[in-house]
Parts: sequence; C-alpha cells; structure tokens
Amino acid sequence: MARRNALLALLLGTLAIAAAYGSAFLPGDPPAWAAWAMGMGTAVVMVASMALGAVNRGSIGRLGPAFAGVFGVLAAGFALALVLPPEAPGAPLFLGLPLRAAIVLIGVGLVPLLFLPLSYALTFEETTLSEQDLERVREAARQLRGPAARAAAPAEPALAPAEAV
Amino acid sequence: MTTLALLQTGELPRLAQPTIAAVAVVYFAIVAAIGAWATRRTRTASDFFVAGEGIGLLALTLAAMSATLSGFAFIGGPGLVYATGLGAMFLLLPASVTSSMTSWALAKRMRLLHEVRGLITVPDAIGARYRSRLAQGLSGAAILIAVVGYMATNILALGLVIDAIFGTGLTVGVWVGMLITLAYSVSGGILAGVYTDMFQGTLMAVASLLVFLFTLKVGGGMGGISGTILAADPAFLGPFGKMGPLAALSLFFVFGMGSMGQPHVIHKFYMLKDPRKLKWYPLLVTIALIVTMLLYFGVGVAVKALVVEGRMEPLARPDDATPFFLLRYTPVLLAALVFSGVAAAIMSTVNSFMNIGAAAITHDLPVALGRRVKNELAWGRVATVAISVAAALLATMPGAVVAFLGIFGWGLFASTLVPALAVGLNWEGATREGAVASIATGLGVTLLFETLAFFRVYSFPAGVTVSGLSLVLAILVFFGVSWLTRHRAAAALDPDVKLVMSV
Repeated sequence: MARRNALLALLLGTLAIAAAYGSAFLPGDPPAWAAWAMGMGTAVVMVASMALGAVNRGSIGRLGPAFAGVFGVLAAGFALALVLPPEAPGAPLFLGLPLRAAIVLIGVGLVPLLFLPLSYALTFEETTLSEQDLERVREAARQLRGPAARAAAPAEPALAPAEAV
Repeated sequence: MTTLALLQTGELPRLAQPTIAAVAVVYFAIVAAIGAWATRRTRTASDFFVAGEGIGLLALTLAAMSATLSGFAFIGGPGLVYATGLGAMFLLLPASVTSSMTSWALAKRMRLLHEVRGLITVPDAIGARYRSRLAQGLSGAAILIAVVGYMATNILALGLVIDAIFGTGLTVGVWVGMLITLAYSVSGGILAGVYTDMFQGTLMAVASLLVFLFTLKVGGGMGGISGTILAADPAFLGPFGKMGPLAALSLFFVFGMGSMGQPHVIHKFYMLKDPRKLKWYPLLVTIALIVTMLLYFGVGVAVKALVVEGRMEPLARPDDATPFFLLRYTPVLLAALVFSGVAAAIMSTVNSFMNIGAAAITHDLPVALGRRVKNELAWGRVATVAISVAAALLATMPGAVVAFLGIFGWGLFASTLVPALAVGLNWEGATREGAVASIATGLGVTLLFETLAFFRVYSFPAGVTVSGLSLVLAILVFFGVSWLTRHRAAAALDPDVKLVMSV
C-alpha cells in the first residue's frame, strides 16, 4: 500500500510539473498557477521518491512524520515565497536576510538537513538494512549463483540472452 | 533559459603570482604522489573501476562530494548569483534533500546488487534489473555521449585555470591539465581518483568555508550585505532573484531529481566496503556539500554588495566575481588555496568521467552487443587515454564546439537514468519495455532539443529547460509503457534482483 501510494504521488507530482511546463507554451506569460504546480509538484515527487525507496515489507515504518515534515517544509517554503510581498529597502531582516529569502535559503535549504539525514540514520536498522537482511542477501546470492556459476562469471550481470530485448 | 550548462568557458583574470603558482605546484605534487601510491594497489578491472575491495565511509563521502561539484561551484556559480540574484541558489537548495533521497532510493539497492552480481557500472544495474542488453547499451551510450562533452568542457576549464596561474597559454594549459589528471586516472583508476578526491574534497571544503568568512567580514556581515543590496536592487534578494518563479523552481526540480541520475556519483555506492556504513552517508555528504557551497553564495552576494557600494567596479563578466574578490579581499595564500581548489574540483570530476566513460566503452557497450572484453583492466586504461585525448582535442577546438558538447551533461544523465534506476529499482511493476522507452525518450528529447536550441532553430519558452522537460517526459513514458506492458513485469526480474528489491 505504501509503495502504491508513493508511486501514485510520484506520477501525480510529475503530471503537475508537466502541466507547469506545458503552460509556458501557451501565448503570453505563464499563468500564475504554473509556479504553484511546479513548486508543489516538485515537493511531491521528491518526497514520493524518498518514500518509494524507503518502503520495506510494505511499510515506511516510523518515517512517515519525517517525510510529512519535509513535504511541509518544501511546500510551505515555496508557497510563502510566492505569496508574501516583495522585498523593500529598509525591510526587517531575519538572520541577515529579507524574510522571503530567509524562508527559502534557511527553510528549504537548511532545515531538511536537520532531520532528514538523522531520520535515515536512526531508522537504518529497522527500515533500510539490518544485519539480518544483509546476511539474507548474501546467503541467497551464494545459493542462487552456486560455486560453478561463481567460478564461471564472477562479475558479469546475469542477462538471459533469450529473454533480453 | 533552455540550457543547463554548468561550465566555465570564459577566460579568467591573470593570477600569475609566485605564491599562487607555488601552492598550485605543491597541490599537483600531492595529487601525483597519491596517484603513484594508488597505482601500486590497482591490479584488476575491479580495482580500476570500483576500487576493488572497497572504501570506507569517509572516502565515499568526500569522493561523492568532489565528483558532484565541478569548478562551476567556485567560478561560474558565484558569477551566476552575482548576475541573477538568489534565483541561482535554486541549483544548490535541493542539496539539503538529495543525499537522503538518493540514499533511500538508490544507495542500498545498488550496493546490494553489487553484492550479488559484482556489478561495476551504472548501466550494469539497469541490465541486471531488466535483464535487458538493449537497456544497458542505451544507457551506456547516453553516458558516453554526455561524458565526452562534459569532459571537454571541464578540461577546457582546467586549461583556463592553469593558464591563469602559470601563464602557459590556453592550449598548453589544456594539455598539461589533461595529462596530469590522466596520469593518475589511467594508472590508478578509480582508486587513485577516490583518494585524490579525499584530499581535493577537504581542500575544497576548507577553502570554501574560509572564503565565506571573508565575504561576511568584507561585506559587514550578512545583514550589512543584505541592507546594501536591498537599498539599490531589492529584486536581487527576492527568493527567485531575477529568474522568475517558474524558472527557479524548475531548477530545483531538475537539480533535485536529476541528482539521482548522475552516474559519476551514484556508481561510487558500489565501492563502499560495508553496506551498513551507508547509515551516516546522507548526513556526512550533505554537510560536506553545504560547507563547500558556501563560497558560491557568499562571493555572489558579497561582490554584488561591493559593486553597489562602489568599492568594486561592475564586472564585465560575471565569472570574474570569484577571482576579483579573492585577489582584492583575501590573503594571497587563501586565494592560492582556492585556485588550487578550483583545479581540484575540476580534476576530481574529470577523473570520475574518465572512469565511467572508459567503462562504457570497454564494458557496457560490448555487453550490450553480447560480447565481453577479455582484459578489462588493460582495455580500460586504453579507453581512458582515448577518451581523454578526444576530450582534450575537442577542448582546443573553437569555443562553440565545446559549448555545444557541454550542454548535454546533466540533463542527459538525469532523463536517461532516473526513471529506470531510481524508480525501477523500487518498483517490481516496471518493465524492460518501459525502461528502454524512457531511456530512448530522454536520449532523443535531450539531443534533439538541445541541438535545436544551440543552433537557434527552436528554443523552449522562458522557464522551460530541455533537461527538465526531458526528465518529465522520460518519467511519464516509463510509467505509461510499463503500465501498457505490465503483464511482462514479472519476466523482467531475476530471483536475486527480486530479493534485493524486496529488502
């Protein structure tokens, strides 16, 4: 179910980006919704790609909040950059930057760093690759290939000629 | 903007100062020493293409970071910020997400595929996933086309740096730069590349951090820089700069999703000795990337503020931003380190391209034709020399030829590899027909429309990049054709590959 949802989100996000690109081919300037479609579509496809890769035994485990958080940060960052008023001389600064620039540079560019790689590390054992999973792959590889096959072609991808396109 | 060519092709200001030249000589000597050491450890094709017995996490981190960043991060990038404002940051902003995303989507599965199949190239993974020589051959061809053009532009950039430092003239600079990089690449293979990358990556990160601190000092802190620019040109500090929202956000998409299709980076996952060390890879590489890209942002905005204040004359060429700032506002030793860092960034990228280009010639294309090169180590070295000489010859041809070849890099990698690999390794429903169709779409759309745009026959409207559109089309074709041929999905999976995809 998690994999199917991630694939669906990836497809829908890509369609949103395609629509944004498509709108640029219409006469005149791109419509206002194009930037929204590009921003939200991009946030969706990136989070969906992470979720798709993280699915293990049909679930993303404890990673749901992390992925939701990244989507929220990206989507909110892009949305605020699009809706807040333009910068003006003398405007207050946040960490030395105008508000919208601070939202994008710090919010989008740095905040995910604070929890995304840590989420990867902290769930690595249960979601990504446990010692048991690794040993299972190594054992299966030994059994599937067998001593004769290993000796014959240790580094060659197993392409079946009859079935290869 | 229809072309994403992250290149340095403009001439640099003359840097010929004894300190800068001396530091560069020391730098090249260290690289040569590392190459000589690695050569003694390179005995097999596996050593040459995937670092044999494997490397540790720190080496992987620095090698991936070094391969990701070319000289553009130090010269062209700051110039782009100076010229277009904060919109140029949308090339870098995805870095906070991309390493984690790539780790989840690709790192584990590629490393485990290497475990069960002993794969040595990225197209190997496509061939194994879909049991398709055609898919492997098409992706190998796409890589080869992109690599030669990318190498030519990077070697040209290296020639420009060497000419600026030593006053050799551009042609001599190109050949000297190519020969130095080739010397350690052809003898020590990727093993030499990885360990020089560790040195080069450290140099790049330290230089970037120090220059960033100087930009803050010279500009009066971030607040001082912002205040100065806001008074004269508020749009520069708008979140999208002078690019417009659609164009800037499109960059985020292309450089975010496209990062999962850069073969010179992702093929390094094969090299990690212990797959479970991937645990801390995203954290380390993300921090390394962000530190190394501080210069890109800092110099771009600081030079803009200096120009606004009248402390620096407006730049005739945006690419002068970094050299002018370094030569006027930093100690000469730091400037020397940065120029060596620029050479380091270019050489580490070129080395990676040499390696994957040689692998495409001696491994992927023969496998696609049902053949196998007998002595892959020897032929790998021959192929490395051949594509390097070809790239250097191209680099010394008229600028338009180099510029034309250089435009294919990032977008071609992204559109041909992301759907088949990043999606396909995580979806059993993907079919070999879907993979072949998506790779062919990425290849065809990128080559056709980049060529039409280059020769001014047809250009996409503002905000649409060829790279972005070809990536979108390749993903949609991948989904569509896989769905149409879904009854054949199970036939495309070998049991060991299925196991790797299920873990």
